Amino acid sequence: MPVGEPGPSRVPELPGVSGSGTLPVLPVLRELLPRGGLARGSVLAVAEFGLLCLALVAAASADGAWCGIAGIPEAGVLAAAGLGLDAGRTLLVPEPGPAWPQVVASLLDGCEIVLLRPPARASAQVRQRLEATVRRGRGVLLVAGDWPGAQVRLRVVTQRWTGLGDGHGRLRACCAEVVADGRGEAAMTRTRWLWLPAENGGVAVADPRDLPADFPFDVPAADLPFTDLPFTRAASALRAVSAG
Amino acid sequence: MSARGPSARGPSARGPAAGQPPRIMVVSCPDLHGPDPDPVSARLLEQVIAVVIAFCPKVEVVEPGICAFGARGPARYFGGEMALAARIIAAVADLGVESRAGVADGLFAALLAARAASPAAAAPARKESVGPRVPSYVRCAPPTPQGALADSSNAIMVVPPGGTAQFLAAQPVSVLADQDLAGLLKRLGLGALGDFAALPARDVASRFGDAGECAHRLARGLDPRPLAARPPPADLSVAREFGPPEARAEPVVFAAKALAEQLHAGLAARGLTCVRVQIRATWADGRESSRLWRHDGLLSAAGVADRVRWQLDGCRPPPGDADAEQHPQGGVAALRLAPDLLVRAAGQQLALWGETVVSDRVARAAMRVQAMLGHEAVLRPVLGGGRDFAGQVTPVPFGEKKEPRLAADQPWPGRVIGPAPGVVYPAACEAEVTDDAGEIVTVSGRCVVSAAPARLAVPGEPPRRVTGWAGPWPLAERWWDPAAARRRARFQLATDDGRAWLAVVQDGRWLIEAGYW
Repeated sequence: MPVGEPGPSRVPELPGVSGSGTLPVLPVLRELLPRGGLARGSVLAVAEFGLLCLALVAAASADGAWCGIAGIPEAGVLAAAGLGLDAGRTLLVPEPGPAWPQVVASLLDGCEIVLLRPPARASAQVRQRLEATVRRGRGVLLVAGDWPGAQVRLRVVTQRWTGLGDGHGRLRACCAEVVADGRGEAAMTRTRWLWLPAENGGVAVADPRDLPADFPFDVPAADLPFTDLPFTRAASALRAVSAG
Repeated sequence: MSARGPSARGPSARGPAAGQPPRIMVVSCPDLHGPDPDPVSARLLEQVIAVVIAFCPKVEVVEPGICAFGARGPARYFGGEMALAARIIAAVADLGVESRAGVADGLFAALLAARAASPAAAAPARKESVGPRVPSYVRCAPPTPQGALADSSNAIMVVPPGGTAQFLAAQPVSVLADQDLAGLLKRLGLGALGDFAALPARDVASRFGDAGECAHRLARGLDPRPLAARPPPADLSVAREFGPPEARAEPVVFAAKALAEQLHAGLAARGLTCVRVQIRATWADGRESSRLWRHDGLLSAAGVADRVRWQLDGCRPPPGDADAEQHPQGGVAALRLAPDLLVRAAGQQLALWGETVVSDRVARAAMRVQAMLGHEAVLRPVLGGGRDFAGQVTPVPFGEKKEPRLAADQPWPGRVIGPAPGVVYPAACEAEVTDDAGEIVTVSGRCVVSAAPARLAVPGEPPRRVTGWAGPWPLAERWWDPAAARRRARFQLATDDGRAWLAVVQDGRWLIEAGYW
């Protein structure tokens, strides 16, 4: 089966008319997904809401797709924008309420990709109805949480932040192990180590062997973000006291 | 809060017979006045409005604690303006709320009359508690003008018909909302509104611009802006009743399209257009759904019909709701479309959605969700500046102008640098950070940490061990504004489950502002 390249999907797309078969994802995430992108008409599930969800929708949004985020009032739009999400083409519905299946179905009519954390457990009937809406509209539903019918399931198994010491440093990057599995063509389990986020705010491939043994790093005081402020000296003094 | 803003669309706009100035009565509750009423006063305010509505149905709430209505009709019914005001004040007093009333030609003068009706003589002890709440548009107690009937015991002031110009002329210019303009006028030697009103309108317009012209109209006892048109003599709303109530949406939407065409034809025949259209559906069981939709003269009949469909969809119970399915609502019995805020049709094309082009498909989806959940439920994020992660994103309701709360092109020293967190809580959530001994970690005024954080406990989750931390990074914001001033010390914490957190200490409490995962 040919791997669907994330082609130019800037062509105006109408619901029910498929452009390319997939929506693009960030290059480092391609290997995690069976077709190298988000297959149109499919449901993906990420175990828990986090940066991984935002990273999955970012490239499609940058490519011209509208993105709806429902049921996640704490979605970090700033981080998503750093990954490529176009805030101008994003709709937020923080509290979809008890009629959330209808809200999501309406959003799927307008947006190519909808990121959803269901406010309540979805019954099998509701799930099937939404899956049919996704198939019909050729969009993508990305669920943060459990969704038994999802074609692809992703989760962050382990993660570790670098850059923080004992009273000094700052968060710099996070090394995460992401596992993807699913049904059908996605049945094979794929594991990737990623910098999620990397130090520049993007996503990059990580190699766990690169991580030093005395992780987390001991960052010299000169690297502190606010070296010109007096508390830095106070913090150093405090460290000296606690060390002595 | 401005005294001149509301009167542009005040009760006078609905107007009595042409040529006659409108008589406006203002009822003001000084104790409940304030820009941001607390829940108790808000409930009281609702009760006060309900009492006033019992006397006159067309009441406009000018601002919290102040409402206005056209007094001519009710006054005739209740035997005079004074009698009407006395009855209202007595009824409001039954709620335990002190109120005042002012009657004059036009809203601005009526507001000032209600202010001047302060029962200083009757209740001197009360005055102190009232004093600090005097609204900004009245700087000092205006003198009682000649010819005005002031009933001090009942806190009523009636400026007789035609006496408004004289009443206004005696007021100091400081009653104008625009304090810059008032100061300038005073320096120019124009102490009273009468002096200002005596200037030729053309000179005022060329010297003081739009704001000055507006204030000049107020000073002359006119509405601040010329009314667009005579109010239409006929009721332009259109309605349709459904013989047997219609249970399906489609026939109602179809009828709505015909109704909208009828509405548009009626408006076009008078050279008018409406800013908003009110859609009101009545069900057979007596329930009603009424909503205002933006029109701006840009909606086609099909567009109005779409909005009817969305509104009906929004009123339908969710499919899983068994209780609602057992008791159907009986179908739509009547549908009514009413134009709201009529303006002269100038053939203007407004950009409805601001700068970014929103395709029709997305706009329909977003507005359908708005029909279900309300206007504020669908938001578009706007990236701006700021020191908090939450403050750097301004959510703007779909369809409104997109502008960030804080400018993005400023340096914002003191913001947290590094990767942005994926989880930003709209309201920081409570947490507990303890040291090895189990004591809460504190930060002194000189930004010294009591001990190294060892454990982070978020309510509802097992406590986590802290594997790395940095801070405190102090942040003192808006110290010049006691209401908004905040002093915080921020920390980044990494925990043993691999996550990282942005925690702050504020007023001795630990809060989680964001999560890095």
